[in-house]
Amino acid sequence: MQTFKLAFRNLFRNVRRTLLTVMLISLSLAALIAVDGIMRGMLTLMIENVTSTIVGEAQVHRVGYRENMDIDIFLENSDEIAQKLQQDPALESFTARVISGAMISSSYNVTAGLLYGVDAQRERTVSKLAQAVVEGEYLSGGDSELLIGDSMADLLEVGLGDRIVLTLSEAGTGELAQALFRISGIVDFGTRELDDNFIFVNISAARQALAMTDQQTHEFALNFVNLEDADNPQLGIFQQLNDEETEALGWLDLNGEIGLIIELSSYTSLIVGGILFFLASLGVINSMFMSIYERIYEFGVIKAIGTRPAAISHLILYEALLIGVFSCVLGIVMGYLLGLYTSNFGIGIGEMEFSGIAFSDNILSEFHIIQFTQFPVYVVLLTVVAAIYPARFAAKIIPSDALQRSL
Amino acid sequence: MTAVISTDKVCRYFGEDYETQVKAVDRVSIEIGRGEFTAIVGPSGSGKTTLLHLLGGLDNPTSGSVELSGTNIAEMSGAVLSDFRRDHIGFIFQSYNLIPVLSAEENIEYIMLLQGVDAEERKHRVAEMLKQVGLEGLGDRRPSKLSGGQQQRVAIARAMVSHPEIILADEPTANLDSKTGIALLDLMKELNEKHNMTFVFSTHDEKIMNRAGRLIYMQDGEIESDEVK
Repeated sequence: MQTFKLAFRNLFRNVRRTLLTVMLISLSLAALIAVDGIMRGMLTLMIENVTSTIVGEAQVHRVGYRENMDIDIFLENSDEIAQKLQQDPALESFTARVISGAMISSSYNVTAGLLYGVDAQRERTVSKLAQAVVEGEYLSGGDSELLIGDSMADLLEVGLGDRIVLTLSEAGTGELAQALFRISGIVDFGTRELDDNFIFVNISAARQALAMTDQQTHEFALNFVNLEDADNPQLGIFQQLNDEETEALGWLDLNGEIGLIIELSSYTSLIVGGILFFLASLGVINSMFMSIYERIYEFGVIKAIGTRPAAISHLILYEALLIGVFSCVLGIVMGYLLGLYTSNFGIGIGEMEFSGIAFSDNILSEFHIIQFTQFPVYVVLLTVVAAIYPARFAAKIIPSDALQRSL
Repeated sequence: MTAVISTDKVCRYFGEDYETQVKAVDRVSIEIGRGEFTAIVGPSGSGKTTLLHLLGGLDNPTSGSVELSGTNIAEMSGAVLSDFRRDHIGFIFQSYNLIPVLSAEENIEYIMLLQGVDAEERKHRVAEMLKQVGLEGLGDRRPSKLSGGQQQRVAIARAMVSHPEIILADEPTANLDSKTGIALLDLMKELNEKHNMTFVFSTHDEKIMNRAGRLIYMQDGEIESDEVK
């Protein structure tokens, strides 16, 4: 207890140095909390953009379809699958799609693109298609309605109400077929891949053009009540649907490269924290050594009168512990305030497209309990660990050397 | 008289090269009995401080032995030596060297905390020592609020409160004016007689050395003379 009291009082012997050390450590903690919050916010934004733009949180296909999106590889039993999806409490919504490559022609130009036949009402609950309409109207179920990406519209030199002819091959027979649509809306996802290449029509019209029946579907896109469930292969819906014919995959499996980025991002806080605390540790070691050299005679005295080397070591470690605790309190407050600001106002990243995913919103920092529990514990531990070397040095001081000017 | 301090040809040399080696203490053999009030005197560089270091276990001899109460402390190290110093030796330093963040009372109490003396006994002994060194009512002051003479009295109280057999003091009056220095020496002498503790102190002040019961003269690391008054 006496050692602890001594350590506490020693902190106030050179208030400026103690404050500088505390500021160094607390700023590192605040920065770590902020970086972790921003990384979490960025991941959330990334996942949200990946899942809500068009992909959904999970998809169901016939086995083999994803390899080259062959229109002949479709699910035959749409109603049966839809019924299973409807009954699953883990799911919030789902929608069916038929997908085909198509030659898209206007009166002025021709391009190749990807036709999505969507269930207008259900699609609203899964993707951002409805929100992406920047001109005209969203699909209402009419046979000739078509939504086109704004950059494709520019390429084809078309606008609302203009005619578009799709040339595609029918499922099963491979026969060429043509279908006429009128542009009912122009969409802008902010993602070049989507805006350059995708057109959307009602699923019934797409099936008709592709000579597919109502039971034939290329894709079901799903949204879960809890996003975490989309990564859980043990979940009932994945267990039920994955078999020799059908494959149901979460968004992470569907977007392998994004998964890698997310995995890499999870190490970012660790790396940033490591660098910050390495630097802070050097500061602690430096501060402790300065403090020891300043009090070297005093250490000589207390050792001479019978203080054991271990007790001197403990004194330095207690000082570091107290510095760590004070720094944590300050760091938590600063980190919270910084996080509060960035969670409310966000960090602007402008319009950015990464790996086919558009980012246009601000990154909003996210708080997590570990930022205020585990991080401070690491800070205290690292501060104490950084003080071990100075503590050992102090413990090894030879009284006669330390006291040579006095005794 | 029983010898509480005994050295046998103790040497302390600095430097390994024979040509440049400094023989701070060279083959010193002394015996100091219980209750003696001994001054080690000599000019600067004569080896007084080094000899006190060796007697207090603050430095290890190059050769020879140092026995305190029959124990060869030259063979001790680490925590064992710390404990021995704590329980058997009191130190008084030239520059007082009190712990600045502790009050006078806490400085005196510190060594008893190391010894594990219970709180009641500590309180009693601190009050007693403050009274003996004439600092009643000043126990709650930190060293910076005490004069040099008062700080040295606290240092004497700290050295004596653990009831050591031996008290070593290196030029305890060097930083004090002569009047305060003599008063302090008188206090040490009084405590020496009252408690029968062995005092060994170094000085080169003639007024101070006159108060010693035994004078050991040192010159160039060797004992030049040993005179009992």
